[in-house]
Amino acid sequence: MAVANIFSGQMAALLRKEFLEAWRDRRALWMAICFSLLFPVLLAGSTIFFVKKHTEETTRLALLGGDSVPVLEQQLRGASLEVDVVAQGEPRALLADGYDLVLQVGEDFVEGYRNFRAPKLYLYVDSSSTSSGRAERHLQERLGSLQQLIVSQRLTARGVAPQLLAPWQLQVRDISTPSSRGALILAMVPGLLILTLFVASLATSVDTSAGERERLSLETLLLQPLPGWQLIVAKTLAVASMGWLGALLAIAALVTLMPLMPLAELGIQQATTVSGVITMGLLLLPLALLVAVVQILLALRSQSFKDAQTQLSILQLAPVTLLMVLDMSRVELGEPFWQLVPLVGQQQWLKGLLVGDTVSLPLVVAGSLVCLMLVGVSVAVGARALRRESLLGAV
Amino acid sequence: MVWMRRLLFVAVLSCGLGVPGSVVGQDEPVSSTCYLDGWGDSLLCYRISVGADANAIELSVTVAPAVNDAGREPLYLLAGGPGQAASDLAPLLNAFRRINRERDIVMVDRRGAGLSAAFRCGFEREMPADLQSFSRQLAQCYLRRPQFAEALSSRQAVEDLERVRKTLGHHRIALWGGSWGTRTALLYQQWYPEALSALVLDAVAPIDTKVFLTATAAERAMQRLERDCARDAICAGFGDWRSELDQLLANWSGERAAQFPDPVTGVRGAQPVPRWVLANSIRTALYDPAAAAQLPYAVHQASRGNYLPLSGISGLFLNTTDSMAMGLTFSVACAEELNRITADEVAADSTGSFLGSAFFDLFYSGCQAWPVSAKPYSAPEERAHPVLLISGEADPITPPDYAERQLVYLSNKQHLIVPGGGHINSGRGCIPDLIARFLNAPQDSLDQGCVAEIRRPPFMVDAFGPALGKGVGVERQGGQR
Amino acid sequence: MISVESVDKQFAGRQVLNACSFTVPDGKITALLGANGAGKTTCLRIMTGLLRADAGRVLLGGVDVARQPMVARRQLGVVGDREGLYERLTVAEYLSLFARIQGLAGVDLKRALQAVREELELDDLWLRRTRGFSQGERMKVSLARALVHRPQHLILDEPTRGLDVLAARLLRRTLLRLRAQGTTILFSSHVMSEVSELSDRVLVMAGGRIVGGGSPDELIQKSGCDNLEDSFVALAYGAATDRRTQEEPA
Repeated sequence: MAVANIFSGQMAALLRKEFLEAWRDRRALWMAICFSLLFPVLLAGSTIFFVKKHTEETTRLALLGGDSVPVLEQQLRGASLEVDVVAQGEPRALLADGYDLVLQVGEDFVEGYRNFRAPKLYLYVDSSSTSSGRAERHLQERLGSLQQLIVSQRLTARGVAPQLLAPWQLQVRDISTPSSRGALILAMVPGLLILTLFVASLATSVDTSAGERERLSLETLLLQPLPGWQLIVAKTLAVASMGWLGALLAIAALVTLMPLMPLAELGIQQATTVSGVITMGLLLLPLALLVAVVQILLALRSQSFKDAQTQLSILQLAPVTLLMVLDMSRVELGEPFWQLVPLVGQQQWLKGLLVGDTVSLPLVVAGSLVCLMLVGVSVAVGARALRRESLLGAV
Repeated sequence: MVWMRRLLFVAVLSCGLGVPGSVVGQDEPVSSTCYLDGWGDSLLCYRISVGADANAIELSVTVAPAVNDAGREPLYLLAGGPGQAASDLAPLLNAFRRINRERDIVMVDRRGAGLSAAFRCGFEREMPADLQSFSRQLAQCYLRRPQFAEALSSRQAVEDLERVRKTLGHHRIALWGGSWGTRTALLYQQWYPEALSALVLDAVAPIDTKVFLTATAAERAMQRLERDCARDAICAGFGDWRSELDQLLANWSGERAAQFPDPVTGVRGAQPVPRWVLANSIRTALYDPAAAAQLPYAVHQASRGNYLPLSGISGLFLNTTDSMAMGLTFSVACAEELNRITADEVAADSTGSFLGSAFFDLFYSGCQAWPVSAKPYSAPEERAHPVLLISGEADPITPPDYAERQLVYLSNKQHLIVPGGGHINSGRGCIPDLIARFLNAPQDSLDQGCVAEIRRPPFMVDAFGPALGKGVGVERQGGQR
Repeated sequence: MISVESVDKQFAGRQVLNACSFTVPDGKITALLGANGAGKTTCLRIMTGLLRADAGRVLLGGVDVARQPMVARRQLGVVGDREGLYERLTVAEYLSLFARIQGLAGVDLKRALQAVREELELDDLWLRRTRGFSQGERMKVSLARALVHRPQHLILDEPTRGLDVLAARLLRRTLLRLRAQGTTILFSSHVMSEVSELSDRVLVMAGGRIVGGGSPDELIQKSGCDNLEDSFVALAYGAATDRRTQEEPA
């Protein structure tokens, strides 16, 4: 009983110390908060910008020599395409003058058209301009439907049903759902949330390990009647709290910003539910612990505070790069086995929850247990590391 | 027989979907994922049992779920015909994408149409060459299921719709009706006003309007075409093509009928085209401004002995596969329309038109073989629901007049008239946006400025198609820019 | 009592402690004197259990430090060489942390904190975070931390370094009071004046072993010098060169 009291009192005191130290570190706290808010804001901002650019912007087309083809001009003009007839001009100068495209009609265009000689239209485009792709698409849409109309009339004139040109009809059936289409935009979010864990806990983990050693306060702590694992656990919890806070903040920011994102215009359903958000927070907790303890272990191994910072900065890129490589190389991660692998599992669950899919509870529990097991192993390794004599820089 | 497939044109594509059988409980309707032709995204399909005994069937209900369910009332689409299926309206979802962002769009195939036990009478396999055989086949079809035929009606369709609304748990609904679908919608408004939030009616067939009298309407649409052609500098070059058309129809002979080439095979005279078929074929071309724009040239050529362009125009409508369930068409048309039309009215309607009674005759003889009882409507009562009316200025079957004059009992309506427009305009220009805006704020009056920007497609002027260049000079329509 | 029994320690092949043996009696203040590099700090770290001896053992009140570190640490207070405080904690939080780690709770905890607060005159500092404390203030806090659980053994590594007069006097007063209470005190130093003033016994360390011991007067006598400093030089540097056979005094 007394032993248990001492134990819990010790651990509570230690935890209090680690949390006070972590949360009173303004710099680390701000770094965590800023990074956590940064990516949701960037993601929302870029989506809004992207949609605005694609739906609201109109293309300005200069129809060079267009005075000879008024019907062409009339048929090209549309909601997304603004057409100006330009009698004379130099395409390059017109493009520099604010036009997105210059369509040049030759002098004998009308004559060639009437005689079925397939006269040429010259499209001048500056493909180094960001708007060129959209502009070309706008023009192709209009030009394409006019072309279809002319072909149809020519067939009719010859008594041919236009369906003769379509030996079959291809019907596309998209098996995606409005919510699963969110994966297009939200694909990078799980990786970024995991990165947030790393970044938000980085400063604290360095401070509590390499920092504490460099400030010579670690030695005092090691002189106390405390088993090493308790020290590691207390530090891990404090560090994880910071990383977890960052991730939770990022999730909250993301969910808050989602309604502002014009997802519906992209045919995407905002499918993240309240329970989904809570689940996301919970399933990141074991990972936050693992990230924290691994960071502490690495920082303890390092030569100095600076060295620890460098090592951990590299470490935080590793998992995100790994996840991106896995994503890009289209490695099939559908096997349930993969959900037991830390990082991969969390990424998949987060992805599922973001797009409103159900995730398998047994797999989440199993994957989280694997994660917690690794935390346990790491704590044991850390406790051993505390007994290493080289830990005390002074020797 | 091209004309037959275009009796009442609505933007349709046939529907080749197999709905996986699913059990529908009393309370919780069970849906399955399915697709409709003309729309790539997955949909939810329900089967809802209606009718009793031998007439019991499962109604096909297809829902395009809102991208984001904002709790707005769903929009139900009602198809035309009568005889077409709402599931054939799936391509309209492309135009209604914005509406679908926040609203479910529900397509109920009415009993006897589409996926709800279509009553087809075998015409989709083979169309008889003459009216007599047509009537005979129809009569046989009727005798096979007289009770089913008798039961099919607007009343039944509205009751089924109400049943679906309740089953899906929709508190209030908005209706979009196209062509004959507007009649169903207007009747629903009469009978279930409290369940309705707003109406969008495209190509309106008011309750009191005898829409099967089409000759005057078709004649007016033809006159609009004449007017617009005359205003176009190059089309005007065809001169008095209208008189040439009258001449052509007046002098149509068996010999000429046998000369008419088939638009698919190119063979001449494989199936002679009698005068009334030709007239209907020309009437059908008026449904679609793109086809109508080719009429002056085609008529001009035909009057000079070249029937190819005219044959080509009839070929334009082949691509829409036969989706009309003729059994349903005749059940409803005979019981609710043909029986209230007198011979005098037919004569008055036909006089002075290019069509004459060519369209009416078909239904008249059909109804002889389809002896369902008359099902008259009572006079419509006043309704204050917000209603958006859409008409094509040159619609050959439901001209703007109908919506303008015969809906006085509706106190809260707005009317969009599409210049040079044909039958059904919901997908054109800014109309889908206006519909979306109307549904979101049905009490506000819409800014209709953009409707005037919708134009006829360019006229065909020669074998090369439309004139792109000046030539003699092309008149610019409207005040664009 | 602390007894160090022929402890050996090597770092990277260099012999730092070489069969080092001595005892520190209860109720006395013992000074460990040695030049830089003599092995003082290593020896103290082995005594506190931070480092492990290659051979030999250290007994703290009869408890083997290497075998039962937790038991040993409960009766040990250590004030390190340049030791760091937690800059983001107040003195009260800092002392409470260590008191609770040592197992104090409730009334005992309050009493213990109040005691060190008074003994070490911490009133002004009590609620301040330790960032920016002077060397003297830091020493007071460290000493308070080492004493808060009233350990039987107190080990101080160069405690007077950088202290001003007042702090040094407070330290002295405290050590003398603890001695009176029977605490076993060992401190390392190289400042002769405070060694001679404070210590009951002096151990001189050189080359990883004890080269002389006894009261300051005894040392002066033994070495035949006039003062402690000369005695120390004679013992320490002489030992480093040729007096390798010097007996360890009991």
